[in-house]
Order: sequence, then structure tokens, then C-alpha cells
Amino acid sequence: MLHELGLGGMLFSPLVALIPLAFGLMLATRLALHRMNWRRFIWKPAWFDVGVFVCYLALVVHLFGNQG
Amino acid sequence: MGKLLRIGITLSVLAVAILAGTWVWHHYLYSPWTRDGRIQADVVTVTPDVSGWVTNLAVTHHESVDEGDLLFTVDDTRYQAALTEARAQLARQKSALELARHQYQRRKALSGERAISEEDLETYRIQMQSAKADHDLAKARLKEARIDLERTRIRAPADGTISNLSLREGNYATRGQPALSLIQDGSLYVTGYFEETKIQRIHPGQKATMTLMGSDQTLTGTVTGIARGIADANTQGNDQLLPEVQQVFNWVRLAQRIPVEVALDPVPDELNLSAGMTVSIRLKAE
Repeated sequence: MLHELGLGGMLFSPLVALIPLAFGLMLATRLALHRMNWRRFIWKPAWFDVGVFVCYLALVVHLFGNQG
Repeated sequence: MGKLLRIGITLSVLAVAILAGTWVWHHYLYSPWTRDGRIQADVVTVTPDVSGWVTNLAVTHHESVDEGDLLFTVDDTRYQAALTEARAQLARQKSALELARHQYQRRKALSGERAISEEDLETYRIQMQSAKADHDLAKARLKEARIDLERTRIRAPADGTISNLSLREGNYATRGQPALSLIQDGSLYVTGYFEETKIQRIHPGQKATMTLMGSDQTLTGTVTGIARGIADANTQGNDQLLPEVQQVFNWVRLAQRIPVEVALDPVPDELNLSAGMTVSIRLKAE
């Protein structure tokens, strides 16, 4: 369970690690959809990508984040 | 048809994203956790009840002591002398009482034969009472002198560890002035400063997990209480007793932090816990 990132006494929010993770997942999804040529089913690609990113973020926060 | 499907897929992903985003927001803003926790301990300040030079310092830095162990000794020469004096005073008052009692008894016997006036007899009775009071006073003084002498040996009031010892042999210890501090064993607890936005989700009895700064060791505990007040800077007065009202930015309000006390479950012996350490606390949600 990730509670906080300590680097030499400085504390960072787990989000510092979780946001790039979510972003990477979003990029991977985007690439996969592109490879399978499914992006043509998407109406507004930018909206879709942002939505996917937020969903992934909630997922990784839920999995690794500071659970109450 | 294809167009509707495309719009539908995008919109449903967006709808899920809005729900997920709201959850993340609430998670960070309202779930009861804080990085602002400190370990606290009960500290006893050991204060001598008599003044004098420290003649013997029996403890060293950060030494662990048991209740009743000798910590230091204050020079007792003066208190020995005071005890001798009090003893002598008591002996004197005892003789005075005996004399007064004897005089009264004798005159009481005489009064039956009307050889002494009523007033004289009364005077001797009162003198005897006065001598008795003086005797009691001398007894009390002796007890006091004994207590003072006893208290030249300062003992540990509880099991604990000596902290920040600056007392040295030869220092003058003053009655009523703290000489050293003792951190009581097993008295460690945690105070977490929780933002007021989270305080409604906290209640006594809630389970807490805590992490020390720079350590993966997890400690557990239970919420025992929430502070019922913190200082309000707006109510402090200046020297004309007018309130010093702070200016604020209209749209920016910082959440106050409320102290919440957490009792620690037993911790592993090999873990070094010191009062003042920083801990992150998270409380189990309902």
C-alpha cells in the first residue's frame, strides 16, 4: 500500500507516482485501440482520452492509494 | 446508427470518468487521513521540594529508571541541623507541658480546700492548654523537618527514561524549580492534526493505522478523543483589550487542524519510538 513517497526527507503525494501510471495506462489503451483500428468508433477522441485517463486514475488510486 | 454508437461510447466513458473523478476528489479531500501526526508522551518534570546543592547525581543521560529509584540527592546538612533543632524544641515543649500540667494538677487539688482563688486556677488551666498547643506545634515542626530531610533524596515518581539531563553535581537545586524531566514508560500516544473538513468522519473508537516517516513499519491504534477547542487568533486582545481581528482573503479559506488523540496498540520492542516523531495516520472509514 502506497501511503506517501519519501525522497531524502521530502514527502510527496502518492499522486506523483499514480498520475504517470494512469497516464501510461491511458497511452497504452490509446495505442492498443489504434492498432486494432477501433478508434474509428470514437466520436471525440480528446474527450474520450481524458475520460479514460480519469477512470484509470481512480482505478490506481483505489488499488495503490491511501485507503481510508 | 454508426454515429449514434460512436457518440454513445464516448459519452458513457465520460460519464464513468465524471463518477470516478468525483470519487478521487472525495478520497483526497474528505477521507480521514493526515500526514501531520506527532508521537507524544507523558513527561513528568521532577522538581525538588527542598533547596540545596546537588551532592550526588545517580542517573545519566537517557537512563531508564524504575519508580522509587534514587535520582539525585540534595545536600542535607542544613536539614539534619533543622531536625536536631526541631527535636530539641519538642523536648523543651514537652518539659514545659509537664511543668504546666503539674502546676495545674497541684492547684486543682488545692482548690478543694479553698486555698486558691478561682481565677488563679483558671490561669493555670489555660497555661497548661497553651503549653499543650506549643507541644503539638513542636511535634508538627519535627515532622516537617523529617519530611524535608527525607525529601533531600529525590526519587523517580514513575517508571521512565531520563531526558535531556542538564543537572550536575554541585548545581544548586531550588525548591519548586524543575530539575530534570522523565518520559514515562508506555505513555506514548499519537496526536494527529486533522483538517476540519475531515473531522465529521472521525469518532472515538475508530481504528487507525500509522506509518512512521521513513519507515515501512505500520503501527495500529484507536482514536480516543477529539479536541474540543483550538485557539482562535481573532479573540486575542491588544493592550486596549480590542480584539485583533485577522484579515482574510474572501475566497481562500484554510481549513483549521483539530488535534485527534490516538492510543497506540503495543509496539514491537525493537522499534525506536520517541516523542516528537512524525507519523502519517489514516483512519478506517465506516
